Amino acid sequence: VSCSMAGEEDFFLEEKRFKQYCEDFVKHSQQIGDGWEWRTSKDLGDGYLSKTHFQVRNRHIPPDLEEKNNDNTEPTLFAHVEEPLDDSQAAGAGSTEEVVRYEYHVLYSSSYQVPVLYFRACFLDGRPLTLDEVWGSVHASYQACLQEGPWDTITQQEHPILGQPFFVLHPCRTNEFISAVLGGSQKHHRHTNYIILWLSTVGPVVGLNLPLSYAKLAPEQSTNTDL
Amino acid sequence: MTDDKDVLRDVWFGRIPTCFTLYQDEITEREAEPYYLLLPRISYLTLVTDKVKKHFQKVMRQEEVSEIWFEYEGTPLKWHYPIGLLFDLHASNTALPWSITVHFKNFPEKDLLHCHSKDVIEAHFMACIKEADALKHKSQVINEMQKKDHKQLWMGLQNDKFEQFWAINRKLMEYPPEDNGFRYIPFRIYQATTERPFIQKLFRPLASGGQLHTLGDLLKDVCPSAITPEDGEQKTQVMIHGIEPMLETPIQWLSEHMSYPDNFLHISIIPRPTD
Repeated sequence: VSCSMAGEEDFFLEEKRFKQYCEDFVKHSQQIGDGWEWRTSKDLGDGYLSKTHFQVRNRHIPPDLEEKNNDNTEPTLFAHVEEPLDDSQAAGAGSTEEVVRYEYHVLYSSSYQVPVLYFRACFLDGRPLTLDEVWGSVHASYQACLQEGPWDTITQQEHPILGQPFFVLHPCRTNEFISAVLGGSQKHHRHTNYIILWLSTVGPVVGLNLPLSYAKLAPEQSTNTDL
Repeated sequence: MTDDKDVLRDVWFGRIPTCFTLYQDEITEREAEPYYLLLPRISYLTLVTDKVKKHFQKVMRQEEVSEIWFEYEGTPLKWHYPIGLLFDLHASNTALPWSITVHFKNFPEKDLLHCHSKDVIEAHFMACIKEADALKHKSQVINEMQKKDHKQLWMGLQNDKFEQFWAINRKLMEYPPEDNGFRYIPFRIYQATTERPFIQKLFRPLASGGQLHTLGDLLKDVCPSAITPEDGEQKTQVMIHGIEPMLETPIQWLSEHMSYPDNFLHISIIPRPTD
């Protein structure tokens, strides 16, 4: 797959900036109880954002991952999947509900100078979801894109700090859409929290949604250094 | 005097004599004989072990066969690491042949990536090449290539075709005449003793004054414990493709000549044998 550079300039994220944006992000998450934390690795001092949440999904129907009412202050621990009510469901017949534990990590890629979303999912008995099961749970509107070349978008990879298998959203195209938004003449966007912008765009692809209050994280509230 | 190009051939054609034995708890209909094979250092386990799989499946019932995986002395072997790296990291100072145990059950989900088809290996290989070029050339060279060139890199590896591979790979080893090397060096440093699988950082091949950085400079910067002698004695070895290059070797040269086909320098830090 080739990455065409969309904007006039490439908006690369330096590691120091990444850490700062993550710090601001975690602060806001703590304020609203959204469950994100920063984990530092003991040996080299680098780290990553981490969040775990549980999702109830119906086994036989590809779940629609639109969550109800994200703009609330309660911790979103259980995200119920909306299902059109029909007779069989009202009667509780023919459907199995399963709880899936999702773990999301945001790491920094020094090679591409972008954040990367790692995640893994398992059922409560510990059985991990397969790549097919993960693809099957991808939001319907993204499935069309993934049909084209799934191997370029979500793949299983080794977590660079933990050394365990995770699924990864390929970072190759990140710069395209980020540059389009953050680059160019719209200077007031330059201090937008890159992590919030990026995560709110890629997260929903894999069932991760950000409550709207993150958008209120005004540039003045984040500690910024000049570009 | 050895030509630099001979190094490329020596790296490509390196082999490790290996003995594959079926795990004793696997259920067989008759006794499984060990299988011997010369493994290419530069390839991947799941790419070169079709014959191993066939050999053991002949003595097993179909229902007992699930995804194959390999283990050395209790450690599951990551198929997505090049074979030579696995050997250097885990078994370089032990007697040959390398003894690998073959499993068909109880796939270790927490340790190993799945590898259900050759497409997965190809995708992984190409992803590494692309990442290496992002470091070397801001992805310009790899993006300028056509799909058929990408395919040729993969086919060259898969079919063990040195010339076919290097016809394309040489472009990934070039740099603008005004520079004296790549933008950053694609490398990973591995130590079996750490939880972190490898160390990878941005590292330039040239210092600000224009001098070439060496392997020693890289280690000092990224992994100083590897070369700091304790009690005046060097407790570790720095190994690439089964040899210990001199620490004075320019890292740019190492990147051009001793990278694996994925264009990364995979460097092992292992305990020095105390014979």
